Amino acid sequence: MWAYIIRRILATIPVMAIVALFVFSLLYLAPGDPAAVIAGDQATPADVERIRESLGLDRPYLVRFGAWAWDIFRGDLGTSIFTNLPVSTMIQQRIEPTLSLMVVTLILAVSIAVPMGVIAAWKQGTTIDRFVMAFAVLGFSVPVFVVGYVLAYIFALELDWLPVQGYTPFANGFFPWIENLILPAIALGGVYIALIARITRATMLEVLSQDYIRTARAKGAGQRSILFVHALKNAAVPIVTVVGIGVALLIGGAVVTESVFAIPGLGRLTVDAILRRDYPVIQGVILLFSFVYVLVNLLIDLSYTFFDPRIRY
Amino acid sequence: MERRSFLQAGVAAAAASAGLSGPALSQGAAARTLRFVPQANLANFDPIWGTQYVVRNASAAVWDTLYGVNDKLEPQPQMVEGHTVSSDGLTWTFKLREGLRFHDGEPVLAKDVVASITRWMPRDPMGQMIRAIQQELVALDDRSFRWVLKSRFPKLIYALAKTNTPILFIMPERIARTDPFTQITEYIGSGPMRFVRNEWVPGAKAVFQKFDQYVPRNEPASWLAGGKRIMVDRLEWTVMPDPATASAALQNGEVDWWENPITDLIPVLRRNRNIAVDIADPLGNIGSFRMNHLHPPFNSQKIRQAVLAAMSQEDYMRALVGDDNNLWKALPGFFTPGTPGYTEAGGDILKGPRNMDLAKRLLQEGGYRNEPVVCVVAQDQPITKAMGDVTADLLKRMGMNVDFVATDWGTTGQRRAMKNPPNQGGWSMFHSWHAGADCVNPAAYNAVRANGDGAWFGWPNVPSVEQGVTEWFEAPNETAEKAAMDKINSEAIENVVYAPTGFFLGYQAWRRNVSGVVKGPLPFFWGVSKS
Repeated sequence: MWAYIIRRILATIPVMAIVALFVFSLLYLAPGDPAAVIAGDQATPADVERIRESLGLDRPYLVRFGAWAWDIFRGDLGTSIFTNLPVSTMIQQRIEPTLSLMVVTLILAVSIAVPMGVIAAWKQGTTIDRFVMAFAVLGFSVPVFVVGYVLAYIFALELDWLPVQGYTPFANGFFPWIENLILPAIALGGVYIALIARITRATMLEVLSQDYIRTARAKGAGQRSILFVHALKNAAVPIVTVVGIGVALLIGGAVVTESVFAIPGLGRLTVDAILRRDYPVIQGVILLFSFVYVLVNLLIDLSYTFFDPRIRY
Repeated sequence: MERRSFLQAGVAAAAASAGLSGPALSQGAAARTLRFVPQANLANFDPIWGTQYVVRNASAAVWDTLYGVNDKLEPQPQMVEGHTVSSDGLTWTFKLREGLRFHDGEPVLAKDVVASITRWMPRDPMGQMIRAIQQELVALDDRSFRWVLKSRFPKLIYALAKTNTPILFIMPERIARTDPFTQITEYIGSGPMRFVRNEWVPGAKAVFQKFDQYVPRNEPASWLAGGKRIMVDRLEWTVMPDPATASAALQNGEVDWWENPITDLIPVLRRNRNIAVDIADPLGNIGSFRMNHLHPPFNSQKIRQAVLAAMSQEDYMRALVGDDNNLWKALPGFFTPGTPGYTEAGGDILKGPRNMDLAKRLLQEGGYRNEPVVCVVAQDQPITKAMGDVTADLLKRMGMNVDFVATDWGTTGQRRAMKNPPNQGGWSMFHSWHAGADCVNPAAYNAVRANGDGAWFGWPNVPSVEQGVTEWFEAPNETAEKAAMDKINSEAIENVVYAPTGFFLGYQAWRRNVSGVVKGPLPFFWGVSKS
């Protein structure tokens, strides 16, 4: 097991290197000029050129890539062109809101979607099943920002139950922290709930038709025990896989959600950096996202051994 | 059921609430914190290195100026006690007023001023003109400095007081010694508010605190002039990229003042009795259809004039501000309406019914050969996007071959600097807009300059316009200034330095428990209080 974990962690190094090369090249080829953005609309072409030189943006591709790669190798993500702050500091400032949003969304989504899928499979063909499937279609179809605006209108503006926007650090207390996250998590979780509920239902339907379930029933096992002990555990591997894949959905959705709810997270940092062509920040954040994604998939792979003892690494 | 009770009922009852802390902001503390939604993200904080308006707006609270313009556009002493000018107009001697201190407790000295001026000059068009004729700039003692010029520059005080970027902000010498093309790393000013650097989250939040040692002038505050009295302890800027979110936050009382609500949301805000809505900046903005004078088709004066003959400024303005007629004006000229230098001289081609027949005839006379007109239009800026859609339709109706490049502002910024032909990565036209405060006269109005390679993007080369600018700078009195501006306007229209698409205003909105908000070219935080 440990050898497998170490092998997987080592395998992330070439993956991250390829991501780094790809991201750097893509940004190099993309149009846009941070010097023009910095100089402002009234700047002369000569001013823009001077700023470009001072930022080293006039250097050749290989020189720039070499310098950046060397810094990354030494653990330095670089300095933002615009804020003059280390990229690691900017990520540090922004990681808590995004992590909070993702964790709350994940907990919310799994705790709603799994029981929904189980019940839909149990009550296949009934009104409950159709309701769950209709909800799943709705979750897939309605964009995050629409859900966000509707929720903010109802629960913040009309009812005044929750704030419209912002983020309060966890260190300031649980209630201020959670009240800022409820609406964004529901908005972001819609697609995720739909995805997990559908896969749970489909997998459970397959498992519920297995011989061992019939045997359990014949032995007089209760319905709850059949569903949640015998069936769900055996259906868990595909569900957990989808939960892992869905982290990518969450990262993408967080960009929109953080804008709608003015949450100062990594998603907004990424969008702002892209619009301004703040290359070091874009590169740093994408590397981080890639690493998180690789790590989550490793954890998912390891979790298989818990749900299915036949799997050994 | 309201927010706190909802949460307590739904969550706290089930939890061990004794161990979970809640917000502890008292009513008094809330009243002493002004929460502001700025027009854009404060991504950097060096008003000389980065000349975006949002940086200037934040900087005006942190750094003070030698002079400041008031709401009559008159320069007034701010950090200086006064100045004297030699009889030949070449030697200017300034004296700082007493009691000026930086936020680190150090006194403001003349050497700080000299270093700040030296850093500002290469980045400012007027500064560059002054530097070209500067003989000497020296500190005489702690509070006095002398500026000796080789030739007269009557607009010197205006250059030191103006509101357009970059403003001459005074920094400590050690910071002002930074190369003007390199960003500073310390944010120490002597203005009425202190920047709280450790709470700055670029893209999200910026915090300013009242600077207790600031000594305001005795005169009433008026824009950048007079006594800058801060009435709150703390100013929090919250960046909200989504206007709908900012609108909801203002309605919900989560923020106090929103700098630039979009026109579509104004009716919603006006319906809320807790919110006041008014014009933000009476000097407004001027829309710009900027043409490339180097390459066909707009290297032809007649083809540029064809655009003027056909364009309907009303179409552009309605695309920008909708049906609110209070928000726009036709503009047969280049200067800001309502200001002393405003002129419509030579502007007939922009007045009256639009003349498509004349436009087509001018196209023919200009030798238009169906070359593609590469329109580079930033879609992420509502102003340029709206104007770009009108332009595409206009040029097509004129019979031009439109190559519409929908892109973002960052790419527009890069592409407009390219002098290549349009079919080799260059461009034919792009849209922008200019703050009215920058267009009250030619002093800092880059876009109206027509000095070829030294001009703004599009590189118009019209010596008669430049002659007018020189006459304005040398004008001994207001009559001569007005005559120079008439000349600039008529020559710039005749040669179509650029095509003005109209004059438009924007709103600001604030909670009614906030008082002291004024109209101006930037948000002024002095005199604003909250109950």
